[in-house]
Amino acid sequence: MNKKYGRLLLSVTLAFGLVATACSSKDSKNGAGETVTITHYTIDSPDRTFVEKLIPDFEKSHPNIKIKVTKAPYEQFDSKLQSSIAAGNSPDVTSHWGYGGFMEYYNKGMLMDMTPYLGDFSNSDYNIPDDVMNIYKVGDKTYGIPLNSYVTVMLYNKDLFDKAGLPYPPTDYEDKSWTFDKMVEYAKKMTVDSKNLAEAQYGVDFGFGERDQRPQYFNGNVYSDDTWTNGGKPSEINLTKPEVVDAYKKIYGLIWDQKVSPTPAFSKSVSGQFGDPFLSGKIAMSVVGSWSLAASSEFNFKVGVAAVPQGPNEKVRSVLYVDPLFILKDSKHPKEALEWIKYLIGTEIQEKSIELSGGNPPVNQKAAEKYYNNFEGIDPQQIEQVFEGAYKYGFESYNHLISNYSQINELFINELASVENGDKKVEDVLPVIQEKLTKLLGRVNK
Amino acid sequence: MSRLSKGDSGLKSTRESRREGRWFYFFISPWLIGFIAFALIPVLASLYYSFTEYDIIHTPEFIGFGNYNELFHDDLFWNSIKVTLKYTFISVPLTLILSLFFAILINQKIPFRGFLRTAMYFPSMISGVAMALLWFWVFNPQAGLFNYFLSWFGIDTINWFLDEKYAMWALIIMSFWGMGGGMLIFLAGLQGVPQSLLEAAKLDGAGRLRTFWNVTLPLISPVFLFQLIIGLIDSFQVFTQAYTITQGGPNYSTWFYVFNIYINAFKNFRYGYASAMSWILLLAVMAITFVIMKMSNRYVYYEGGRER
Amino acid sequence: MSELMIGQRQTPKRKKIKLDIPRIVGFIILIAVTIAMIMPLWFMLSTSLKTTKEMLAYPPSFIPEHFAWGNFKELFVNSEIKFGQQYKNSVIVAVLTVIGTVFSSSFVAFGFARYRAKLAPFLFMLLLSTLMLPYPAIMIPQFLLFTKLGLHDSLLPLVLPAFFASAYMVFLLKQFFSSLPNELYDAGRIDGCREFRLYWNLTLPLSGPVIATVAIFSFIWSWNDLLAPVLYLDSQENFTLPIGMAAMLSSKFRIAPWNLMMAASLLSVLPVVALFALAQRRFVQGIVLTGIK
Repeated sequence: MNKKYGRLLLSVTLAFGLVATACSSKDSKNGAGETVTITHYTIDSPDRTFVEKLIPDFEKSHPNIKIKVTKAPYEQFDSKLQSSIAAGNSPDVTSHWGYGGFMEYYNKGMLMDMTPYLGDFSNSDYNIPDDVMNIYKVGDKTYGIPLNSYVTVMLYNKDLFDKAGLPYPPTDYEDKSWTFDKMVEYAKKMTVDSKNLAEAQYGVDFGFGERDQRPQYFNGNVYSDDTWTNGGKPSEINLTKPEVVDAYKKIYGLIWDQKVSPTPAFSKSVSGQFGDPFLSGKIAMSVVGSWSLAASSEFNFKVGVAAVPQGPNEKVRSVLYVDPLFILKDSKHPKEALEWIKYLIGTEIQEKSIELSGGNPPVNQKAAEKYYNNFEGIDPQQIEQVFEGAYKYGFESYNHLISNYSQINELFINELASVENGDKKVEDVLPVIQEKLTKLLGRVNK
Repeated sequence: MSRLSKGDSGLKSTRESRREGRWFYFFISPWLIGFIAFALIPVLASLYYSFTEYDIIHTPEFIGFGNYNELFHDDLFWNSIKVTLKYTFISVPLTLILSLFFAILINQKIPFRGFLRTAMYFPSMISGVAMALLWFWVFNPQAGLFNYFLSWFGIDTINWFLDEKYAMWALIIMSFWGMGGGMLIFLAGLQGVPQSLLEAAKLDGAGRLRTFWNVTLPLISPVFLFQLIIGLIDSFQVFTQAYTITQGGPNYSTWFYVFNIYINAFKNFRYGYASAMSWILLLAVMAITFVIMKMSNRYVYYEGGRER
Repeated sequence: MSELMIGQRQTPKRKKIKLDIPRIVGFIILIAVTIAMIMPLWFMLSTSLKTTKEMLAYPPSFIPEHFAWGNFKELFVNSEIKFGQQYKNSVIVAVLTVIGTVFSSSFVAFGFARYRAKLAPFLFMLLLSTLMLPYPAIMIPQFLLFTKLGLHDSLLPLVLPAFFASAYMVFLLKQFFSSLPNELYDAGRIDGCREFRLYWNLTLPLSGPVIATVAIFSFIWSWNDLLAPVLYLDSQENFTLPIGMAAMLSSKFRIAPWNLMMAASLLSVLPVVALFALAQRRFVQGIVLTGIK
């Protein structure tokens, strides 16, 4: 730290002498010989920064490549990425770990087409299923290679189930007795409505996808189908269609009609702005992204995984979140960057990563076996069954597929806040969103 | 300036003043450079960017009045103005009046005066994020102090920052908490009012209110004006509360102007669009200051133009 | 004042009985409001010492059952918070800002106060006009400039502008320097003082109080600033306290650590309170002169 302070003072002195060019912070990229440095940009959280531990071995086997890891917290991820590109310090390898998704990066022209460098690369060598590999292709060009694949799972608090004397929910997606209504019925039995936060407890927190994707579970599609084929620009928005309205009614009915889900007031009181109230131990069942599972060793209650119950949509019961690795357009060493990426998706490293990261689901299906075994107190077979069902009934997360997603998401969060608070009715708010979203998309997708 | 130069010839005094001029520029050079680098160029650059579409990665693309035109049709932009003005027009005058009121109360011969003054001022030292976090917690619907206090009067849980009807009011209530600074300024102003004038008014039979209205208020009106301008300019730039507590929500009810600039520039990466908003802010601040200054010529009393 | 008038007209005995009702009511209001103003502070203090369980309990307790001093320790040992590092960053930024502001502003103020030049009045007006220049109006180009220079995610963009004088402080110092008697300078000149030494050896030593005011307020300003750090700082270890504390709301804690946040807030206002305690007069004067609250 002293060094940094010294550098700061030095720079200030320099600047005061009007030599404000501050070249001091430019790193020396062109080292001696043919050694190149690949910058891997990631989120500053333990389940991402573990890659640092993989570097020594990689550098040993690839003596001409050095890997440097740069990081930023989730909230700052996108802005730092943009600023580094602007400053000419573009990282070489990263993923869409911030607010923006693949389509946003793609439409901004930030990504490099990897196809010319792929050569004899074949996804089957890395046990990556074809349909997963295809997510980040546009036309026949490959822009990303999958690294991790998260799904939506149901986590439940075994302690609360035991206390209520209820059987644990099943892990088999084909068990058709496990329905949405049954879940609500269970939830009712485990809800304790109390002003005292220390006593209050809720049956279910239904966090299926982002707010605009949630109706999909109930057979309502917010965006027209062409969105998935035309570069993430919906030609039509269906927020006023009866099936979508009904879907939202069902979703928010959990809070206000059935009263089995936590209010935003409760969630934010207990877990802050962006936290997950399930972790507080006051939620019996939580439908959530499987990344929450990675923290399971820290839970101070017994946790189980189950299938997302059967809803009105026969085909979609889970949201898939496949995180790819991209090579950025300004990368000077795409070939070497690709070497690094290939290294990260190899079976051995993917297996190693599971442990180091605390439980990131590998995209490499051979390594997946190991993943299922990673969670203490949860039967590996159950996890495997849940994941397989989720893949089968999965749909890729909207935020990866839709252009300008952060703005769209912001709109949904804000407009639906009054519904979530119980101040307004779904049918009054949806037409407003419909209008504003149409306007917004007209503006940004011109 | 120096007596020596007075008797000298014109030629020499020119040289003298040239010499003085050189020193003048030498000494003010840090500011001059800073002004050019950190104010003038940015203001002009921002004007230029406001006519472009710019995402920092690609080169700026000139689009004429495109951004301004788009702003005109952007609901969020108008909403941010509405939000900011609502906050400004409620919070600034009320805070001013409250701080004046308490300055008057404290300016009397009362017990514990020093303590009360410090106690009233103390909260304004907790500003910025610390204050935002504290009030976020005080207004916590379930475990917070404020709702508990209201429950004594039988008022049911209010969701404050989570409810679009109340979020703004919560911020306004929060702003009263920082009135201590304004109170101190008024207190200094009140203490500058000559005792003789007050006594003269008394002798003329003026009551307390009359004395205040006719003697005290005119005398402290420059202080009032000063605080008004600073208060307005500050409240046009509210950011911390929106960033820390509400993220502009719920339902955009606290989507302040500067927060909108921030989101557009640094989250949506539309630097040109955000620059257009910056320029509108700049013009608004200039206009407001100008109008107040003009108006003040009529209403504000300057004691013989004396400077402090 | 009024009590004097009343006393003159009435006998001493009745004066004691006669109560000044408005003043008493005013006093009561004052006491009530003071208590209301202090309550949140108390809540802050008490929450910072509560356990997580007690912090969530309803109704809130005013005095913690068990003092959880560990909260304060947690701030420094929890690697997800990095409070100590951020505290240090804030101190670095604030101290450098103070040094920069004090020297550059007094330097410039000296120029404005002591020398005549054709453009001096115009330039001074220009300086005053920048008082109104809102930071958000210039932050985007400034940000782009520093970013292109590769200074993103460093503390430098926060500190650098301070070395080029602050209009507020120049104004304040200039008023003071102008009030110093001319004879002083003439005497200095006759003694063969060079111009720079007139500033350094003569003016600065005489200006202790006003410089203290400038130092206090540039410190507070920098200490509380959120917007600029939010723009420039990306990594948690480079955060200054305000962003670090705001980030505690969003980081992945099992339960929002209100107790830790209150503890952090308390520690973060400590330097300001210390300045107030040490230099109350300068402090109050500074508020009155600058309007910074």
